[in-house]
Amino acid sequence: MSKMSYEKPTITKIDFAMASKYGSPMKAQRVRTHIDGVSIHELTHTYGSPLFVFSQRKIESLYTTLHTAFASRYPNVTFGWSYKTNYLNAICRIFHSLGSIAEVVSEFEYQKARSLGIEGRDIIFNGPYKPYDALKIAVQEGAKIHVDNLFEINDLEKIADELGVHIPIAIRINMDTGIYPQWSRFGFNYENGEAYEAVGRIYTGGKLSLVGIHTHIGTFMLDPNAYKIATTKIMRLKEEVERDFGAIIDYIDLGGGFASKANLKGMYQSADVIVPTADEYAHAITDTIHLMNKSEHLPKLYLETGRALIDEAGYLITSVHGYKRFPDGKKGYILDAGVNILYTSSWFNFTVELDRAYHGLNEPSVLNGPLCMNIDVIEESIMLPPLDRGSCLILSPVGAYNYTQAMQFIRYKPSVVLIDNVGQAHLIKAMDDLATVTHKEF
Amino acid sequence: MGYKTLLLTFLRPYSAVVFTDNPYVGILIVGMTLLNPSVALSGVIALGFAVGFSLLIGFRAALTQSFYLYNPLLVGMGVGYLFSLSWGSVLLIAIASVFTFILSFILNRFLSPSKIPVLSLPFSMVTILVYFASLQYSGLLSSLVQHQYPNETLLPAILIPFLNALGTIFFLPMSGAGLIIFMILLYTSRIMAIMALVGFYFGIMIHSIWIGSRMEAFADPYAFNYLLVAVSLCGIFLLPTLKNFVLALMGVAVSVLLTDALSVFLGYYSLPVLTFPFALTVIAFLFMLSVIDYPEFNHFMKATPEASLSHYLSTLFRFGKITTKISPPFSGTWRVYQGFNGEWTHKANYQYAYDFIKTVEGKSYQGEGKYPKDYYAFGESVLSPVSGYVVDMRHDLVDNPIGENDRVNNWGNYLIIRSDAGFFVEISHLMQYSIKVAIGDYVVVNSILANCGNSGYSPQPHIHVQVQEVGFIGGFTKEFCFSDYLQGGKLHLNGLPDHNEAITSLINDKSIASRFIFILDDAFTYEVFEDDLKIKEVTFKVKMDNNGEFYLHDEHLNRLYFYNDAKQFYFYHYQGKASPLKWLFIVAPRLPFIGGQTLEFTDYLPVYLVKTPWQRWGIELVSTLQKSFYKIGCSYRFDGITLTSHYGTVSLKPSQKGFETIQYNHTQLRRIL
Repeated sequence: MSKMSYEKPTITKIDFAMASKYGSPMKAQRVRTHIDGVSIHELTHTYGSPLFVFSQRKIESLYTTLHTAFASRYPNVTFGWSYKTNYLNAICRIFHSLGSIAEVVSEFEYQKARSLGIEGRDIIFNGPYKPYDALKIAVQEGAKIHVDNLFEINDLEKIADELGVHIPIAIRINMDTGIYPQWSRFGFNYENGEAYEAVGRIYTGGKLSLVGIHTHIGTFMLDPNAYKIATTKIMRLKEEVERDFGAIIDYIDLGGGFASKANLKGMYQSADVIVPTADEYAHAITDTIHLMNKSEHLPKLYLETGRALIDEAGYLITSVHGYKRFPDGKKGYILDAGVNILYTSSWFNFTVELDRAYHGLNEPSVLNGPLCMNIDVIEESIMLPPLDRGSCLILSPVGAYNYTQAMQFIRYKPSVVLIDNVGQAHLIKAMDDLATVTHKEF
Repeated sequence: MGYKTLLLTFLRPYSAVVFTDNPYVGILIVGMTLLNPSVALSGVIALGFAVGFSLLIGFRAALTQSFYLYNPLLVGMGVGYLFSLSWGSVLLIAIASVFTFILSFILNRFLSPSKIPVLSLPFSMVTILVYFASLQYSGLLSSLVQHQYPNETLLPAILIPFLNALGTIFFLPMSGAGLIIFMILLYTSRIMAIMALVGFYFGIMIHSIWIGSRMEAFADPYAFNYLLVAVSLCGIFLLPTLKNFVLALMGVAVSVLLTDALSVFLGYYSLPVLTFPFALTVIAFLFMLSVIDYPEFNHFMKATPEASLSHYLSTLFRFGKITTKISPPFSGTWRVYQGFNGEWTHKANYQYAYDFIKTVEGKSYQGEGKYPKDYYAFGESVLSPVSGYVVDMRHDLVDNPIGENDRVNNWGNYLIIRSDAGFFVEISHLMQYSIKVAIGDYVVVNSILANCGNSGYSPQPHIHVQVQEVGFIGGFTKEFCFSDYLQGGKLHLNGLPDHNEAITSLINDKSIASRFIFILDDAFTYEVFEDDLKIKEVTFKVKMDNNGEFYLHDEHLNRLYFYNDAKQFYFYHYQGKASPLKWLFIVAPRLPFIGGQTLEFTDYLPVYLVKTPWQRWGIELVSTLQKSFYKIGCSYRFDGITLTSHYGTVSLKPSQKGFETIQYNHTQLRRIL
């Protein structure tokens, strides 16, 4: 007869209002034993913990759904993978193999894209800060430069003189799309005529020509109508500059900002209900282009989606190191992952799943990270069964921004595993070590 | 009115009596009527008065509808058969003709709403009246005509009663006249000729069974009614098919009965039965068949039964039997969960409905499927299946947890749209508060309406769609089909997917659609190359005919009729000789507005396009017995820019309307304007 494990008693306030038709919250457990057919235990055993896990199958499914929603409504659509959302080489390679070009916002990302073999002309270069040398290289390599401000125009004209070339560029514009907040600090404003005048300035200079118009109206957009308005205004500007300056606008870029099925803090309804579908975004944009198009040709459509293509494909496996009973009765777990690698926990309530079914009733628990900072809380209050050292929790969706925004703070940045199409796990990034951190120190 | 028009107006009624509209046939028959000058002249006079009356009262429309003129014509001929010409008889003809005209109008007013033709009923009625009255007309007694007809011995004896009967239609009971009519019938339509023969001899046979003597049956002067019934019920007003052949024979038997009954009744006054039995039989049959929506009713009467059948079969194979069409109410690939006459709820008055779910590797949910959001269908966009106005909606009901169902509001959150075509589409089980349109909004096909939910009687999240004749929830369903979808790698047109089949909806590509909005006077000019040598230039222009139908024509006035129904562009009729336009129909019979992928589909070409006239005669005749004989299928491939088949290729240009290049055999047309 084996020794029975000791279950500490749980302390839970009796609350009749908690009874619901979904079953008692005392007993309901969310369990995930596998990701894409690979067991959690096998993953932690082989690759350690904490561990980011990405599913290639899910990436491809998200990409195909979104791309088809656009491609079936519009003849010329290209996606530019937003590197800042997740610039792991293996992930970027998947998107490039699916047909994406690259969208970068700094010389670092630019170099990363080039190192993956992406040609300059397949790189969209955005951002308010483009140092002169980086800009010059981008021009030489034929990248699609989306100009943010007048200083950049001056820089480009200087480069044009230096290299003796005429540079095709695009400009970024911002406008009122009916949502709050309006991102008015990037690009030229449409409503006050700044954008129109900037194009005028471009043509007066005579060294650059406008081939595209770009806008990126926000992030985690829950209202497709905002895209409809943005597209309308871009198409209006396109018509104006084609008519008044003889510009030949080859493409329009509606940026990114599509939401993923993540639960935003402060949102009462679940993501399934409030997040628009791919069809809704596609319909809002493509329908408007058809409606507003006044020239003979339909412009190419670029999209710089990041979050909607990767968020739901990313999981974080974290292990419980220990627990405490707080004075207010809540059970606090110490995890090996915290806000150091889950920066977006500030805005999202992640789905927390258990690695197996546990005995015992649920109790109000807190999930704390490994840092000795009071702000390192992943989940303030969650009903979990009693867990012990070694229990694993799987947090999702964490595919977007969490890896790229992870801090090199207190703990080494973790390993990343990719599960490919045939269910094989591959380590695509090993855990950092001291050498990684001190590499540039003298 | 021009002389030519006037002449045609006079000739048309003659050919109309034998169900054709050919001025040459009219001339031939007029000539034939001269075999009895009294009849011929009386006919012309009657026509003259009818035309004159129509112009007098300003009712010019009557001159284009043959029954307004062939009835007075027959009345005139009827009077002329009885009385030779005199002032008295001319007066009688004039008045009888005018009265027939008026009676034709009145009868048409009552019969046309039920789609029944007037036939020669006015003629029968007025002629009986005239014969009745003439019993008192001693003033005309002197004009009574004596009929003497030569005995023909050149023709086989068995045929003579038939030919006599044919001639009797024009008051010329002579086999010579009958032979001319039969030749006309044979030349115009083999089907009419066959039906005339079969109907006549079948009627004689039935009659002979009842009266007990074949000789007497043959000698019956009203036997022409039998052949008129047979031709009408199999070929003219009903399509020439096997089923209608049987109906026609039944009609013939009925007319035998009617002829005998009426001849007894009218015989008391020595009155002829004329075409009463034929008119009554055909009107009776057609009334019932029209009201019950008999499928093989000839709704689109063309010049000949062959042409009518051709048109019917071509339309049937190319566009399907079900005229109510909708688009799938979703995008992407979904699976049929329950189809027409399903095993659970789509039954009886509610049988015409479809349920769709989304599956991944065979399962409709991920994880354990305990919550609605685990189901792939939950939250997906519901697209509008038709263009039209939203007439009813509701979205306050909650999405049921899995395992619970709302039996009270079983339709759940729903939308009803009144399609532009007149029918209503109902979509059920939508997500709470997810409907993005309001009552009264106009929605375009494929636009996003709501999200798929789990409200109402819904065991798992799914989209339920049905078509109704009425616009309120709970209305009985009506049969429909899906205009286009992808299944098994092929484009299915006007189809109904089976239970558990996965279909992918195809969203309209507006950029292709906009290139096929052809406006009047649009012109497309091509250089024609034969084996890479330029031989000429052709221009196709867009015109509209008197019926409001659009067509392309070239300098030889060949016509290629086309239509754009917002989902596809297609050609449906060609008139003229061999030309590049004819080949355009063959090479590109239909263009679905779907880009972004390569599609394969089958289209069926009308026989007259690809077969020689002799082959056509043969196929049209055999198709009366076996419809599938008419099916000439060809496989086409379209990738958004080029449409290919074994006949040739057409290609489109993204920035221009119409076709860029057309290629068939060794010929290639390249667009220059």
